[in-house]
Amino acid sequence: MKIVIAGAGEVGTHLAKMLTDESHDIVLLDDSLNKLSKISNQIDLMTHTGSAHSFEDLKKTGLSKADLFIAVTPYEERNVFACSMASYLGVGRTIARINNSEYLEERYKNKLRNMGIHELIYPESLAAKEVVASIKQTVTRQLIEFSGGKLILMGIKVRNNAPVLNKSLKDLDLNEHNISVVAINRDNVTIIPNGKDVIKDGDIVFFVTTPIQEQYVFELTGKKVFDIKNIMFLGGSRVAQKAIDKLGDNYRIKVIESNLEKCKQIADKYDKVLVINGDGRDFKILKEEGIDKMDAFVATTGNSETNILMCHLAKTYGVKRTAAEVENLEFMGLAENMDIGGVINKKLNAASYIYKFTLNAAISKVKCLTASDAEVFEFIAKHDTKITDKPIKYIDFPEEAVIGGYIRGEQGYIANGDTLIQQGDKVVVFTLPSGIKKLEKYFK
Amino acid sequence: MNIKIILRVIGLLMFVEGAFMILPIIISLIYGENDTMGFVFSSGINLLIGAIIIWLTRNASKDIGKREGFIIVAIVWIIFSFLGSLPYYFTGAIPNYTDAFFETMSGFTTTGASILNDIEALPHGILFWRSLTHWLGGMGIIVLSLAILPIFGIGGMQLYIAEVPGPTPDKISPRIRHTAATMWVIYLVLTLIETLLLWIGDMSLFDAVCHAFATMATGGFSTKQASIGYWSSPYIQYVIILFMFLAGTNFTLTYFTLRGKFRPVLKDEEFKYYAIIVLGFTTIISVGLFITAQYGFEETIRNSLFWVVSLVTTTGFGTVDYLMWKPVLIAVIFMLFFFGGSAGSTGGGIKIMRIVLLFKNGYYELKRLIHPNAIIPLKFNKHSVDSKIVTNILAFFVLYFIIFGASIVVFMIFEPDLVSSMGAVASSLGNIGPGLGSVGPAENYAHIHPLGKWFLSFLMLLGRLELFTILVLFSPAFWKE
Repeated sequence: MKIVIAGAGEVGTHLAKMLTDESHDIVLLDDSLNKLSKISNQIDLMTHTGSAHSFEDLKKTGLSKADLFIAVTPYEERNVFACSMASYLGVGRTIARINNSEYLEERYKNKLRNMGIHELIYPESLAAKEVVASIKQTVTRQLIEFSGGKLILMGIKVRNNAPVLNKSLKDLDLNEHNISVVAINRDNVTIIPNGKDVIKDGDIVFFVTTPIQEQYVFELTGKKVFDIKNIMFLGGSRVAQKAIDKLGDNYRIKVIESNLEKCKQIADKYDKVLVINGDGRDFKILKEEGIDKMDAFVATTGNSETNILMCHLAKTYGVKRTAAEVENLEFMGLAENMDIGGVINKKLNAASYIYKFTLNAAISKVKCLTASDAEVFEFIAKHDTKITDKPIKYIDFPEEAVIGGYIRGEQGYIANGDTLIQQGDKVVVFTLPSGIKKLEKYFK
Repeated sequence: MNIKIILRVIGLLMFVEGAFMILPIIISLIYGENDTMGFVFSSGINLLIGAIIIWLTRNASKDIGKREGFIIVAIVWIIFSFLGSLPYYFTGAIPNYTDAFFETMSGFTTTGASILNDIEALPHGILFWRSLTHWLGGMGIIVLSLAILPIFGIGGMQLYIAEVPGPTPDKISPRIRHTAATMWVIYLVLTLIETLLLWIGDMSLFDAVCHAFATMATGGFSTKQASIGYWSSPYIQYVIILFMFLAGTNFTLTYFTLRGKFRPVLKDEEFKYYAIIVLGFTTIISVGLFITAQYGFEETIRNSLFWVVSLVTTTGFGTVDYLMWKPVLIAVIFMLFFFGGSAGSTGGGIKIMRIVLLFKNGYYELKRLIHPNAIIPLKFNKHSVDSKIVTNILAFFVLYFIIFGASIVVFMIFEPDLVSSMGAVASSLGNIGPGLGSVGPAENYAHIHPLGKWFLSFLMLLGRLELFTILVLFSPAFWKE
């Protein structure tokens, strides 16, 4: 697939790198020659210096023959306009990065489509969703809902108090309870387990199950759900603001932000939020604001190191739930190991969201797992595809992937070897990166 | 340092070289000459060693960083020359190994300096291999392997940069592999067309192929002792002039032209100066030759044009002996040793783009003296050039002329004549072929001391990889972890 990406920022660069590795042909457009020359030294792609909203510059990227145009410059209006121009120049599909949730509303979709903007991506909103999920669901490292919660995937860190410890999956007989273990992350390596594998102390185990069985999974892993009331946000970034939006009024929220202007903005926007102007790294301020009484601590400053360290510090003060925005990919494993409950990466989120547009199969959801390098897909099983051919155990399914469950009609089910996937089912597949390409053919 | 992948790439390329040696085996079988076994041995050694290395390094990780890139490219070129010289040695065509190595390095770097005193006496297989070394080296060994071997991931980029270090690497498609393949297709097509055109003239098919190889690679090896002068046909000379000119043109421009887009060519500054340089020097030399009234009208222009194109593109084919001309004209000819084709062409040497940027920068420097506070960006093709590139080019010139000067001094140990020394060094460093004095177009390099030949071989490699790729290996920083 030929893909043109406008904007060589963090999201653009990460996407370019990922898509190049997936053997797509990438053309990257940016107005900074400096940025581009750095990237073209590292990634096998073509770069063009130019503006994302110039017809001439867009033409130079060979848009008319491209399948996908992704505008991820920092400026929303530029992205929207660039997509519109790209559509006019004949690109197959366009995706614009936005900073305004208004555009996401269903009633404006057609208007945008008429302008040639086919898909929208809002990385801050995606990250905020993660933050909210990690606050609302205090037990899991990661929680992903499929088809509005009919099936859920939970990543849970298992500690020495868990009853499932040191038992093989076969003995646990989880299928009986509509639970399936799709992966185990042990020492930063992701294993696709078979019946003989044993769950050990310190593993992050990924369960797929129906919402009714959620409680049983918590029991198995020795987790107790606790309520969260007091939340402290470190840094009033856009992610934090979006998260506050989504959290609603049921929480007591404090935001610590060093920029006075931003503080005023946030205070203006959210009545119930207490905004503190000060450097979040100053421990006196944190103490004054009662960090030890907090149930959750969310660090979303622009600095990954600060976020990780401050979350770690909050832990030592007895904050039970922490979440850190970590934009530096290398630090993600480190953050996981430091027991930070939610590790959020804007780039990865955005990239996996866009990823589904580059695959040929019908996909309704893609999510990357922060606690592992794997991805989860929700495929729609179409008529006459390999997957609907025969029961799962007779399909020569790739080793790197596993079918966790499927949603038929209004109900979610756990898959086992005898399951026969039917047309119209939504199939939840867990896969290591190396398996992604192989999966395509089963759903095409 | 990822030593395994370095070995693996080298092994793979040795295998490729061994495979290419099968071609001269076929030629020697067709002509029924006695050099077949020499090629079979050489090819066998390459294939065998290559295969063993490939097998031993089968689980190498594919990480190729900057360092690995430089080392691979440098070593590949050296090993290619060592093993590529085996056919000369085994068949007894060149019994002395130093000579055989010199001839091969001269071939792969597309220099075209020869030590052979009686070229016509050699079997066809050897002559074919000699021209083939040009053709393989012309577009670049790494570029070739990127195009035909599906083994390089992201690392291919590092290798490409190390082998094609021009001021601004152009990509014509997002994938380096696809870019390399396209370049090779253009290269192949032009070679075929030239072969055909030469064959229509009164060249034999064999000579036509060999000369097309040498022209498109801007090499200079001929199958005749008298080079192109052997054929008195003006038609053949004009065909070769045309294709030398094309070989010295940026292949990206050729690509656009072949696809029917003429604007990039017409708007390209480097091409404009390339044409101006060729036409300007042709005029100067023609006028000089008219005054001395050595040749007829058409012949004067043809001879001037031939030599100008041959030297500017660093091909080194010859017709008449320019050393017979007036000294001032020889001096003008010597200036032509310091151009080199366009960036992104098969020509060696300094490259027109660097010269244009150097002169522009010099001119702007004068402007800056008058307007000390003015911001005057250096522009090329209507885009301002990054100051890093300008620094790089200035460093290139300084290094080039320091190496040129120092090499003359070193080379005087082996060659007492200053003019001949200057000619040999400039010619080797610029990948040209003929030089001045005792290494002029009518002479060859056979009489040079063996150590001198090794020294010139080193200069050829230095020039072919545009200095930095080789010089960086001599910097302590490169070897520090």
